[in-house]
Amino acid sequence: MIELLSGIKNTSAALEAERTRLDVIAQNIANAHTTRDVDGQPYQRRVVVFENQLQNAMGAGATDGSDLPAMQVASIQRDPRPPLQVYDPGNPAADGKGMVSMPNINIHEEMADMISASRTFEANLAVVKNARSMAMQTLAIGRH
Amino acid sequence: MIEALFSQPNYLAAKKTLDAVALRQEAIANNLANLETPGYRRVDLSPGFEKQLEQASASGDSGQLAALQPTLAPDATAKPSSKDGNTVKLEDELMRMNQNTMVHAMETQMVSGMLAKMRLAITGHS
Amino acid sequence: MSPLNAIPSYSAGFTQPIAPLPNNDVSDIPSQLPSATSVGASDFSSMLGKFVSEVNTQQLNASQQVGALQSGANVPLHQAVISMEEASVSFQMMVEVRNRLLESYQEIMRMQV
Repeated sequence: MIELLSGIKNTSAALEAERTRLDVIAQNIANAHTTRDVDGQPYQRRVVVFENQLQNAMGAGATDGSDLPAMQVASIQRDPRPPLQVYDPGNPAADGKGMVSMPNINIHEEMADMISASRTFEANLAVVKNARSMAMQTLAIGRH
Repeated sequence: MIEALFSQPNYLAAKKTLDAVALRQEAIANNLANLETPGYRRVDLSPGFEKQLEQASASGDSGQLAALQPTLAPDATAKPSSKDGNTVKLEDELMRMNQNTMVHAMETQMVSGMLAKMRLAITGHS
Repeated sequence: MSPLNAIPSYSAGFTQPIAPLPNNDVSDIPSQLPSATSVGASDFSSMLGKFVSEVNTQQLNASQQVGALQSGANVPLHQAVISMEEASVSFQMMVEVRNRLLESYQEIMRMQV
């Protein structure tokens, strides 16, 4: 199709990736107290891993944007850190010593992640808005 | 005859600047898309191009201007802004985008004005 | 003294006769100046033909760029738009040239013999 907005493919990939990240953060926060996940273990924090997908080798002298590395979500992985042990003997999931394995989710960490994901998301939205206004101006060349 | 009409140095310089602006916009878009990617190095216009453009438009050489070609290259002067080696700084990038947009607006208006003047000269009215 | 002599004589400054130019021959003037008759019908029509073909090339170039843009190729938008505008300006110039030629022709035909 016609590509009127330059450099927009990578931006849309980034918007999707950041949205995925926000979804994962929301899921982590919602499951902060899930002691038994579907696999019987406490919920394990999910982490989004980004990577660069180099379409062509990016050397000096690229004359257009098609050779630039495109960002994409590589995978959603589990945080390998062990679950927190909390002393809560009244909890039905407590073991013999009264310790409960809670998901290793730190609310502050999640909030910081969420802020940075939102920031990136908004920055990429600004890029789209900007590209659109530049394209409209270009189309007005020569119009009286 | 047609070639002479469109070979004014100012006109050519404006068109080349527009080429560079469009390319820069792509670079900035890509930089912002990779704001969180580990190890990403920001890209921008090759540093030699601006000097070449200045020199060519100062000398008024149409042939030299027409032969200019802007290119993109990884920015060698950018320092990492986070532990994973990513060299993109959000505020800097947004500032550059703003400036780029202003330059685009200016050059577009100049090109438009020159074309309107040509039409006026040819037909006697716009 | 007659009024003529009252004028301070500028010839007083010319104490010597003006010497002839050292290279008094005109042989270095090129003798192949295009004579008026040789810029005749053939040159003008070939000039006009060249003009028309230049305008045509520009139109083709513009439509090719627009076509490439529509099929999704990597043509920057501003280049396509500017090519279209340039093609339109050159076409307008061709139309004006045609109008002027027509006017001059009609003017000539109207002349009383």
